[in-house]
Amino acid sequence: MKRTIVPFGPQHPVLAEPLVLDLVLEDEKVIDAIPTIGYIHRGLEAMVDRVEYTEMGFVVERICGICSFMHGMGYCLALESIMSVEVPDRARWLRIIWAEISRIQSHLLWLGLGADAFGFENLFMHCWRMREEILDIFEKTTGGRIIHSVNRIGGVKRDISDSELIAIVARLDGLGKAFEATARVFANDPSIRHRMSGVGVLSMADARAVDAVGPMARASGVRMDTRLAGQNLYDQIEFEPVLETAGDCLARVVVRMREVRQSIDLIHQMVDKMPKGEGLPLENKPRGNPSGETFTRLEQPRGEVVYYVKANGTKYLERFRARTPTFANIPAMIKLVKGCDLADVPNIILTIDPCISCTER
Amino acid sequence: MSFFSKSPWILHYDASSCNGCDIEVLACLTPLYDLERFGVVNTGNPKHADILLITGSVNERNIDIIRNLYRQMPDPKVVVAVGACACSGGIFARAYNIQGGIDKVLPVDVYVPGCAARPESIIDGVVQGIGALEQKRRKSA
Amino acid sequence: MDRQGFLARVGEYHTNGWRLAIINATTVPPVDAAEPGIFEISWGFAKDLEFETIREQVTTADEVPSVSDFFGAAFLYENEMRELFGLNVTGIGLDLGGQLYKTSVKIPFSHAAVKARLAATAAATAAASGKKA
Repeated sequence: MKRTIVPFGPQHPVLAEPLVLDLVLEDEKVIDAIPTIGYIHRGLEAMVDRVEYTEMGFVVERICGICSFMHGMGYCLALESIMSVEVPDRARWLRIIWAEISRIQSHLLWLGLGADAFGFENLFMHCWRMREEILDIFEKTTGGRIIHSVNRIGGVKRDISDSELIAIVARLDGLGKAFEATARVFANDPSIRHRMSGVGVLSMADARAVDAVGPMARASGVRMDTRLAGQNLYDQIEFEPVLETAGDCLARVVVRMREVRQSIDLIHQMVDKMPKGEGLPLENKPRGNPSGETFTRLEQPRGEVVYYVKANGTKYLERFRARTPTFANIPAMIKLVKGCDLADVPNIILTIDPCISCTER
Repeated sequence: MSFFSKSPWILHYDASSCNGCDIEVLACLTPLYDLERFGVVNTGNPKHADILLITGSVNERNIDIIRNLYRQMPDPKVVVAVGACACSGGIFARAYNIQGGIDKVLPVDVYVPGCAARPESIIDGVVQGIGALEQKRRKSA
Repeated sequence: MDRQGFLARVGEYHTNGWRLAIINATTVPPVDAAEPGIFEISWGFAKDLEFETIREQVTTADEVPSVSDFFGAAFLYENEMRELFGLNVTGIGLDLGGQLYKTSVKIPFSHAAVKARLAATAAATAAASGKKA
């Protein structure tokens, strides 16, 4: 049969970000997909030659505007491990509270974009309306909606008062209730099932073979979550990763919905466990310049991120590298697109929750 | 500007933004900020668009795409550069693959500052863009 | 590098159920040495909560064998290493022919490019302190 090549992107109504796939088609079936990236490649890893390590954190935060908090936190964790800085307890708890809040933010954002991709605009609006509540919390506690810059090497810049924390938990509970109404639609609406159920199935074996990470792997039943490592205080709370087994687009939606609920529960536990009081220390400033290297792993909303930092005792790092979750999930995406219908391509691409600016840096 | 003679349609393109400004552009279209009350519709087709809303800066690969999208838009048209990166290259100005702000390639009518640009400023920028569009329209009439 | 021995070690990780978490190249100083400069490559593998690496030092003249045969997902890392570091990676599963990023500075992590950036930084710092004085 005659083959046709259809370019997807870089400017495409479904994706806000530019990603190019050359889709090789036989009739309506996709036979092959060849990715081209580089539309957002800035070369920020090389900025370590131009920017001092103390300021590099602000650049790293801007790898991606959706998980900016987690990127800032990951960079600081890496530098703290190289410089052997002890972070004060309260600051450590505040970090993971913010981290879980940003996970909720990211998942709500994605659920909206996913709904938009299969043509359910009403649901998109609902998800983003709820997401604004999270942004309000961020703005109140960090001063920024998108870029927060509260992480410092050695701690955090701002405290959240105990009364404010209680108010945040109450607000999240309210959000959780409102979320249930939307979650019911995602889970039960026949038109959503029609578009998502059984589409883009990634088996557990395939998920392992292509090294998928995050919700993508967990939707295929792979029990994988770097939070299980118990770093960053996750060993002090009850945590078990959310797993689904179907491995299709719907399973990936369901995993993220369940993680929204889970994160609210985790924040409850964190606020209970953390040391209380006013004026507790938040920061131990590091001394001198870093020397040494580290690999740091962290669970972002989209999956595992790996940072590599190498420092040589000067103000400028020798190497900074971020392997972001989307970078690891692109092989899985290509695998899923092969053999699907052309009309399902946007859905499949969306359900890996691609973040192109993370991928290209 | 007491009324608009037309409902301007927007084409959004992410040049090499970190996503921060892009999601704020999308947030403008959702219930809390509701840019659509100005008759603004977000379109995916450059041939339907009056206002080109660009986030992020120019790099080696997207420079032709930006020119191409602008060329396809019907006259009169307006370019709104959203965020520090689109205005000047922002924090990434010194990165090796960044050539600078959008005005390196296109005539920019409105600059929206911020990192990330706040929805309020984006709305303000779009409304100023509508004003610039009206002026161009009158001139060409 | 010892090609056979390296591939055998990678194959062992694969057989034992590890996954490929990262492949990372680093430009090793001094960057003012005559070419070919040295690069360090780390292949990072993860299994549950453990993380291990294989390290090799190479130059642009060396041949770096692809690990695509064991880990299909390696192709992105390997295309990236070739394009950004100028390393000679051979046998990549999905070879994008140097078209992954298309950067304005060719091979931005080559010894020459890193040297140029560091020199620019030093010049800018000197100019700034000159102004202050």
